[in-house]
Formats: sequence, structure tokens, C-alpha cells
Amino acid sequence: MTLTPTKPPQHPAPVEMDPPEDGPSVGERVASVFSTGFVAVWAVLVVLPLLWAVLTAFKSDQEILTDPWGLPQQWRLDNFARAWTEGNIGTYFVNSLIVVVTATVLVMLLGAMTAYVIARYRFPGRDVIYYTFVAGMAFPIFLALVPLFFVVKNVGLTATYLGLVLVYVAYALPFTVFFLTGFFRTLPGSLIEAALLDGCSHAGVFFRIMLPLAEPGIVSVGIFNFLGLWNQFILPLVLMPDQDKYVLSQGLVVLAATQGYRSDWSGLFAGLVIATLPVVAVYIVFQRRIQEGLAVGAFR
Amino acid sequence: MRHGKYPFIIGFLAIPLLLYAVFVISPYAQAFYLSLTDWRGLSNRQDFVGLANYAELFTDTQFWRAMGHNLALLIVVPLFVIAMALLFASATAISRVRGSRFYQVVFFFPHVLPVVIAGILFAFLYNPQAGLLNAFLRVVGLEWLTRAWLGDDAVALPAVMVVMIWSAVGFYYVLFSAAMKSVPRDVYEAATLDGAGRLRTLVSITIPMIWESVQVSYVYLGIAALDGFTLLHTMLPDGGPNRSTEVVAQYLYRTAFDEGRFGYASAIGVTLCLFTLVLAIVVMRFSRREQVEYA
Amino acid sequence: MTAGLDRRQFLQRLAAAGLLAVPATGALAACATGGGGTSSGGAVGEVSATNPLGVAADAPLDVVIFNGGYGEDYAKAHEAMYRELYPQAQVKHTATTQISQEMQPRFVGGNPPDVLDDSGAQKIEYANLVNEGMLTDLTPLLDAPSLDDPNVKVRDTLLPGTIEQGTFGGTCYGVNYVYETFAIWYSEPLFEKNGWTPPTTWDEMMALSEQIKAAGIAPFAYGGTNAADYVLDLNLGAAIKQGGPDVIKNIDNLEPKAWQQEPLVQATQGIEEMVRKGYFLPGSEGLKHTEAQTQWVQGKAAFYVSGSWIENEMKTISPPDFQMTALPIPVLEPGSAMPTTALRTQPAEFFCVPRDAKNVRGGMEYLRIMLSKKGAAAFAQETASVPVVKGGTDAVAQKTPALASLSAALDAAGDNVFNWQFWIWYAAFKPAVKTEMGNLLAGRTTADGFLSAMQAVADEVAGDPSITKYNR
Repeated sequence: MTLTPTKPPQHPAPVEMDPPEDGPSVGERVASVFSTGFVAVWAVLVVLPLLWAVLTAFKSDQEILTDPWGLPQQWRLDNFARAWTEGNIGTYFVNSLIVVVTATVLVMLLGAMTAYVIARYRFPGRDVIYYTFVAGMAFPIFLALVPLFFVVKNVGLTATYLGLVLVYVAYALPFTVFFLTGFFRTLPGSLIEAALLDGCSHAGVFFRIMLPLAEPGIVSVGIFNFLGLWNQFILPLVLMPDQDKYVLSQGLVVLAATQGYRSDWSGLFAGLVIATLPVVAVYIVFQRRIQEGLAVGAFR
Repeated sequence: MRHGKYPFIIGFLAIPLLLYAVFVISPYAQAFYLSLTDWRGLSNRQDFVGLANYAELFTDTQFWRAMGHNLALLIVVPLFVIAMALLFASATAISRVRGSRFYQVVFFFPHVLPVVIAGILFAFLYNPQAGLLNAFLRVVGLEWLTRAWLGDDAVALPAVMVVMIWSAVGFYYVLFSAAMKSVPRDVYEAATLDGAGRLRTLVSITIPMIWESVQVSYVYLGIAALDGFTLLHTMLPDGGPNRSTEVVAQYLYRTAFDEGRFGYASAIGVTLCLFTLVLAIVVMRFSRREQVEYA
Repeated sequence: MTAGLDRRQFLQRLAAAGLLAVPATGALAACATGGGGTSSGGAVGEVSATNPLGVAADAPLDVVIFNGGYGEDYAKAHEAMYRELYPQAQVKHTATTQISQEMQPRFVGGNPPDVLDDSGAQKIEYANLVNEGMLTDLTPLLDAPSLDDPNVKVRDTLLPGTIEQGTFGGTCYGVNYVYETFAIWYSEPLFEKNGWTPPTTWDEMMALSEQIKAAGIAPFAYGGTNAADYVLDLNLGAAIKQGGPDVIKNIDNLEPKAWQQEPLVQATQGIEEMVRKGYFLPGSEGLKHTEAQTQWVQGKAAFYVSGSWIENEMKTISPPDFQMTALPIPVLEPGSAMPTTALRTQPAEFFCVPRDAKNVRGGMEYLRIMLSKKGAAAFAQETASVPVVKGGTDAVAQKTPALASLSAALDAAGDNVFNWQFWIWYAAFKPAVKTEMGNLLAGRTTADGFLSAMQAVADEVAGDPSITKYNR
């Protein structure tokens, strides 16, 4: 059987609320002006620094330090060229894409399976498993770096994409399980009941019914995982010593260090802007879906 | 109880649990063991020292100072972030601010910006000589307020908090906006018919309706505040003026990599971890949700 | 599962790793196969006049370079020289800034490189490497004939202090390759234009500072958020010149009350007075070293205390006619134990050969090549810095202003050079100096407060039996 995935709990209300028909009071209007003002000011405070970061990427090192707030006298595209070639950004970009996309897809599948079982079945050890995952969000990563290195080495996966992917998956699981468990709990149980009565297997229920229903949550958590893993740099630092397979964040660490020792600020900013753009693009494209996912209850 | 339930549960949990056990649990278990040794991180040489590291930690003033800074972050940052995010969200969601879609895109940007960039950016902003902040204060006649923001042990930590708040508000704004959308409209209508003002609506209706989101946000912000490593390491790598901004993660890093005391550093990490867990559990207990189970 | 590995294989490997899931001892011991026990030194070749260290000609060589202020190009030149001597050898070149994170697992795993340049902010503390027995004793290298002249041993080609700098408890474990020199730096044209004479005594320095301040320029700048420790050269340097080498010997040897020695008290009070009189650029306490240095090269401050890397670090930002010039720390009073021309020279960039390396002899040979005239010239040419080899900069045709002034200052200093080891031997000192010097310069503490805080650190280190102690 297949069910057309329907949007879960339909809330009847539209988003915006109309002010009372007889017009707002003076106090209300003042408050409205104020809150609108605050929102606008905050938007400026958010946008200006970003513009600054982009502008800075076009400046010379001297301008960055001596005139940090001015416009570049000359728009230096060569900063980007230098970051791209010397920083090897192009190659690292592709490497990052391979590792992060694979890991995100995998962690969403495994995370959803785990979360579904925890949310919908009662079995011995369930709470222990759940809290073990929650605890995973609290661990400072570099505490485990050296032991982790040897674990990966003994599995024979040092300096491989697979090793990095599996470790990424393992470290993204807590967040994924935590949020998706809440999500699966909000889905209507009657559907499962009906499907099981229809002779659908447990796994069938999950893949055919629950997974499609959970899509909004999965997409939004998936995007957060993508963003988080894209910026992860401590793990690859230790697990990916092969410079040909460096991921982007490692390349940026190199750029940042170079800046520190040789004052190559312009190269650093150009590199960071290049690295940020795809992330911004992902967010803008999926912005509506992230909101949907959040609204439906990833945070419940 | 259906037949085939257990094979199904085991089948679904096997791989994720295996990965988690091998790559997350086992390294941390080893780290826990290491916290009971004097391992120095280079050779295999390590002597079991029992709880000596923890005993030392108990009287280590630097550790407790760092813990104090984490606590300050833990209290101040989530409070401001949640308050501001709620305010902005209710302002745009309820009052039909034009372009609320635009704000949802824009406000989120800082969250996407690499922390390293945010750190460098604000360090320039706070620069006492060439920074925008002091320049602005001079222009508006508040000369007496200008100072070396990151060099003054009274304001350095608040200055860093501002950066944390700046980069976090957007995410929670988007989150709360989404949550507010799912509050049924008739609730608001009833409120306005009662003549409730905007602020009262927010406090007595909106917030209770999305209280769960607020609590989970607090847990998440709390976990972030207990870390704070990347930002502080970028802005004030040496712990700030008179060590007034050093957080536990930085102290851990310094103990491990600068002093080579991995055993002791592991003890610091385990303690921090327990502390975070307790926080998470306490807050989660308050937000017990009803469980829809199928069994 | 992803490509390349089916689930069965995957599970098999996990099972193989099963031991590892059990806490540490087993795990770490399991990794010890490469190391531990006696060090074989790996590949061995036949010893001959041209191959005094007995390098195996075909053994691969694994070189890890710190890719910091000096870049990595000079190392490529050295590697080319190695290949020329041993054409059959595969030379692997790695350049990184994250030494600690990348190298530490390799040390634990018994798989370290053959040559390691352990430097930069992420270096592994040398004392840790030594205390854990991870490094090769370099005596055979020092006693080997130099590449240039079979009658001169390598140890005799080095500048004074080089071997001492790499020696821990009587054994030399590393060669610090760059002869870093510490001084007060200024722009010569700026001083000429204003008719200022670089001071040689503390009183002259104070008088000139008053003059500079009157001209609307800050006498000194410093980077308070991460580099307040640079200024230690001002008081400790002056104190050593005043009281002689014993002053620093007492401090390095953790003698009681070493931080309360009279010349040091006097010099530190001198800094307190400078702070009181406003001789430091206002706001310096909130600047990073790069920001402070930028203010300085823009003419907002006259002097900057730093090591000799400063010119290279600021070369894209300094105005072309800045002419960075070195000035030795002034003496406290005439009649000091060391002349005013004395300098702190502290060889840096710690090159070592790990004990568990697969090609220990090749590693030492690589250092011998670095320490040859040709190797040194390649470095000097590439980095505009002074290598620890005698006459190492002779071959450099065009010296930068800073390098030229430095060479002159080193000539003037002659044997009157000194250095300090306490913050290399004992990790607790560096962060304490940064914090306490920051407090002193920002006026948060007094000279007395600074010195007692440092004395407290010294006493704590001295009283901690778990810390290995060194002496000079």
C-alpha cells in the first residue's frame, strides 16, 4: 500500500494576525513602530558585517589593517585567485562535497531509523539508548581526538573518505536522533495501526509511511547537519593527513595559519568568502523547507 | 505486541549503534580511562593514578575561574538570545511587518558565517585605535565610553558575549517564528477581543504556547555556551586580559597541547561533560512531553 | 554502505578493532608495535668518508616542515640537496601548521617522521618530547665532519648558543635552525627626521620617550591580547645586562627568590614608571600583535620590542621606506656587567629526529645538509633571516634593512649574547608571563605584583616532583 504523504497536523491558522477591526490603540501603534524599528536595526547590524567581510576580501593586506572600514581602492580579484590556487580551494571543495553529502545522506537515513524506533517502540534499554545519544551532544570533541585516531587507524580507515564519512555520521547522530525522535512522536499513531492491520511489515510502515511523513523534519535536520559538517575542522585535521584529500575546512585552517604567520589577511578573507558562499546558497534555496520542518515540530 | 517487533528493532538499531559505539563511545570511554592516568600524550607510558587528577581539579583555581566564565556565558547568552529572538519573532510574525520573509533570510546569515570570520570581524570592530565601535562612540559624543574593549578585564567577557548573541539570535528567531506560526489563530483572536496588548499577548499567550521550543532552545544554547572554544580561541587565544575570558575548553586545550598533561586534560573534559549532561537532563525533565508510543 | 567496502568486510574490520572498543591500556599498547624498547634507528648503510653517518642510500626520508613565518620553500631546497646525494631515496615532504594535532598520534603510534621541524603555536613542547624519550641523541651528527670541510666537525660550524639551546640534561636533542635575535625596533628615517638619537641607557630611553610623547607619538606599542610577553625582553634583558649572566642562570635554575633579584626589580619598576607616564600606546592592551605592529609601522608609535622575524611578518604592510632597525635593550646604569651592545639571541625552529623514525641516520644527514654553507645560504636567501651556521648570511647579496642592521648588531655584540630557557623547559611560565606582563602594562598590577606572581610560578614548578628539572 502507498499513502500519499499528507502534511501532518494541520494547523488551521494562517501566519499573520490581523489587528482588531476597530483599529489599534495609540500605545499599540507606538509599540508597532518600535518593534518594527528594532527589527530593521538588527537587520542592518547583521548585514553590514557580512558586507564588510566580502569587501575585505577584495582589499590588499595593507588596506585591511590600516583602513579596515574603507572601500578597497582597487578591487583585487587576485586574492580569490590566490586563495583558489595556493589554498587549493578548488580541490578541497570537491573533497568536502563528496564527504559531506555522503555523510549527510547516511546520517539522515540511520538517524531516522534510530529515532523512529526510539519514538515509537517500547523495549528494554530504550531510555538508556536515547540518553546515550543525548549525552553525545555534550562531549567536547578534542577530548576524544587521540583515542579516536587509533580507533580509525585500527579499522584501517585513516586517510580515507570512508573513514571520515563514518566518523562524521557517528558524530552527527546525537543531534539527528535527538531532534527526529521528538519529530516522530508528533506523527499520528493511528496510521501505523492501520498499516500494520493491513499487513504491512514494521520496516514497511517506516519506509512507506513514516519516512515520507517525516520529510519536512528530515530535510531541515539534514540541512543543519550539512552546514555543521561543512564547517567541521577538528575531525579531519586528525583523521585526514593526506593533503590531496583535505576537505575545505582544513584548507581554511592552513589559510588562517598563513595569515597568522605571514599577515596574508586578504587571502584568508577571500578563502573564507569562497567557502561560505555555497553554505549561504544552500540556506537561501532551502530556507522555506527549513522553516516548514521547524514549524511542524522538529523541536517538539 | 506484534510478532517480528524485536528483529525489526534490532535490525534498525544495529548499524547506528555500532557506529556510535565504535567511533564515539569507545574514544570517550578511553578518554575517561585516561583521566585516571598521568598520560602525557606522546608515548605509551602511562601510570594509573586513580582519582588524583580529579582531586587536583577540585583545588585548581584556574579551572574554577574558567568554569565561572562558562557559567556567566550559560546564564547571560541564552537569556539575551531567547529574549531578542522572541521579540523579533513576535514583531514580524504577528504584526505583519513587511518583508518578514526577507528578515528570515537575513537574520539567519550570522549562523551560516564561519565562527572564525565572526571572531576576526569583531576583533577589528573592537580595535581601540581603528575600530568602528570607538569611532562611533566618539562621533556621537560618548568619548568617555571608549575603551580597549578586549584589553579591559571588566568588559572583555561581555564583549565576547555580544558576538555570541549576535551570531545566535537569527537561528532562534527562525525557530520561534516557525513555532508561532503553528499557534492557532483563534487563540490570538480571543486575546485581542479581550483587549490584551501586544506585550501581554506575547507574555501570556505566545510564550506559553511555544514553551517547549523555548526550553529546547535553552538546552541547545547552554551546550553551546559551555563550549565557546572556537570563538574565544580566535578572539582572545591567551585567555584575555588577566585571564578574564578563559573558558574550560580553552583551559583543557592548554593543559593538553601546551603542557602535555593529557591525563589531567581528560579529567577536565570528563567533568565538563558531566556538568553539561546534568544541565541537559535537568532542563529536559522540566519539559517532559507526553509520549505517543506504539507497542 | 558506501562504495568500496561491503558490509561483511566492514563488520570484519570492526571485529578486528573490537579490542579497541575496550578502554585504553589495551588499545594504546596495541599501537606500540612500531615503537617501544630499544631504538634500532631503522635503515643503516655503510659508513665511509663521504657517508660518515652511515645513511642507507635507498631508504626513504620523511620530512615534516612547520609552514609558518619562514614558509616551506627553503626546505624544498634542502630536500633537493638530499636527493642529489642519495638519488635512490624517496623524499617525502609535508608542510603543516598543526604540528601537535598531526604529529602526536604518529608519535604514539610509533610512526613519526624522520625529520620534524617542531615549531609554531601548535608545536609539541620540546621538554615533553625529551622527557618521554621520543627523540634521538644528536651527538653523532655534531661530531660528524661538516659537509663543506672534512676537517671541521659540524658542532664547530654553529653560532654560539646553538647547541646549548637544543640541550636537555646534557644531551643535545635538536638543532634550532634560525638565529633569532631580540631587540627594540624602530624606523631609522623617522628618527633622523625628528633628530632623535637611539638610547643606550635606561635614562636616555626615558628622556627620549618624553620627547617622543611631546611630539604626539606614543614611545612604545605592544600587542596586549596575545603578545604582552614580548615586552619581557625590556626588563629581563636590561636586568641580565646589568647583573650579568648569573641573573638569568638563577631564574632558569629556579633558585629561590630569583625573580626578586635587584637588577630585575629595578628594571621592572622602570616599566611600571613607563606605564605611569603613559609611554605605551593607549589601547595597546586591546590589540593583537599584528594590530599593534600595524600601528607602529604607520608611525603611531616609535618603538616595538620583538624578535627578528618582525620584518618578514610585516613586509606586506610596512611602508617601503620604513627601514626597520634593531636597537639592543638599553642598560640600566653605566658600568653594567654586560655592554649595552649585548643581545638576546635565541636559536629557534626546533629540528629534531624522532627516536622511532624509520630512517634516523637519514634524518641526521638531512640536518647535516641544512647546516652546510650551501644549505644555510639557501635558507638565508629564501627567508631573509639568519641561520645558526657561521657565515650563513655571507652569500646573501642583497640584505634587507633589518637583516643588515641585525648583522651589524650581532657583530657589535660578539660573544656578549645571552638567552633564557625557563619558559622552554617549563610550560607553566609562558602563559603566566603573558597574563602578568599584560597586567603590568595595563596598570592592573605593580612591578612588585608582577615579580611575586612570577616567583610564585617558579616556586610551584620547583616544588612539583612530577616535573622534570633542568639546569644550566
